Amino acid sequence: MNCTEIQDRFAELLDGRLADGDTAAARAHLASCPQCQREYASLAQTLSALDRLPAPSPSPRLRASFYAMLEEEKNSAASIRAAVERRQRASRLALWRWILAPVGALALALAAFYTGARYGAATTPAPAPVVASTDDDTKREIAELRAQVDKMGQAFVASLVQQQSTNERLHAVLTKIDQRNPDQRDLAALVGALALDPSVNVRLSALDALYPHADRELVRNGVLASLPREQNPLVQVAMIDFLVAARERNATPELQKLANNQAIDAAVRDAAKRGLAQL
Amino acid sequence: MVETEEPRAAVSTAAEPLSDHDLMLAVRDGELDALGVLFERHHGQLFGFLVKLTGQRPAAEDITQTVFQRMLKYRHTYRDDGSFTAWMYHLARRCAADHFRKSSTSPVATDPQDLTERSDDRPHAGDHAAARDEHALLHLALNRLDRDDREILLLSRFQELSFAEIASILECSVGAAKVRAHRALKELRDIFLSLQRTGRN
Repeated sequence: MNCTEIQDRFAELLDGRLADGDTAAARAHLASCPQCQREYASLAQTLSALDRLPAPSPSPRLRASFYAMLEEEKNSAASIRAAVERRQRASRLALWRWILAPVGALALALAAFYTGARYGAATTPAPAPVVASTDDDTKREIAELRAQVDKMGQAFVASLVQQQSTNERLHAVLTKIDQRNPDQRDLAALVGALALDPSVNVRLSALDALYPHADRELVRNGVLASLPREQNPLVQVAMIDFLVAARERNATPELQKLANNQAIDAAVRDAAKRGLAQL
Repeated sequence: MVETEEPRAAVSTAAEPLSDHDLMLAVRDGELDALGVLFERHHGQLFGFLVKLTGQRPAAEDITQTVFQRMLKYRHTYRDDGSFTAWMYHLARRCAADHFRKSSTSPVATDPQDLTERSDDRPHAGDHAAARDEHALLHLALNRLDRDDREILLLSRFQELSFAEIASILECSVGAAKVRAHRALKELRDIFLSLQRTGRN
């Protein structure tokens, strides 16, 4: 390397960014060239002085302004819409996880049955076919369940609201999330919390807890029955998403009402329209 | 409404501290609190850069605030393969350019003592006074440097930025960034030495 080539690399050499081979070559040249030594020393002195410049600290006003701005943005309409979309995404994932697990198990059972029927030595009688309920039976059952949900849920929530703080009620709901096989009373309590609890957090948590049981008619009807009373857009959108993901066709009339209601939040209207398109 | 948001598990409960990039991706996905962590990590260094670039503390504070404001506003444009630090300095450069355009003047040469820590009230005041003089001269030298030269010189002193990143911030080639950094350093050296000689005489 000659003097010009070496000097072109001084900035990188001083920064320690020069490749090892080039660094060795530059050092070797410097050792034998007084002119480059002087040039290098003066640049090193300048950089060293620059690095020694004390870093001033900003005033406390900067931190206060930043957090005020952040809080304002978090409360803006766009951010709330984004939170709604995030919750929808998470809900969809949770639902599919819980729906696909039984479907997978059923597929395995069918495969096992098919294999057994084809290759088994003994002939087993075919299971009795599941007969679909008639429309009248279904309607009667739904009506009974609705009445039951209303009765049990209201009693449960009324007692909770009277006796417990929001945190305690939230805890009561959260403990039910982990239950693999909640009985009808637990599910009715969750539906009751969804319909009547005054805290948005408790209602959303109750809906989350109901997701694994979206295949149960009692649950789907409970969510559908709660939707007309709900006033909070976040919860409304989460409920719509639940019903659509669960393919609850009985939700269509309620979704049509919401889709045409100009008085409600636009995010809810949009969710209802999207839901109608999917049902 | 804030109470209805999901728990910030990704931000606050991870065993390993999240990288700047992961935090900014979280901000992009709506976890706005993650920007607070990034602010705490970077605002001091960014402010220091802007003080040296503008020569004015109030302006540097305003620009720092604007940079984080734009991070929020343009969070959707942050790329999966992005470098947070490079993006931050890219925004800072734009914000500083806006500031210079608005003020329509080159940086005001404020009293350099306002830009340095006041250290001469302690013992060994003579040594501190000499250091203060050196800092004052260097601030003057920086202020006399062309703004583009000052910018690349200060960026190149941040070891966490590669020349490839500096080149992307300045929207030029890596080779051009290296040449400009070298030229800026030589220019600063010449002004600094000249000021030192004037001071001695």
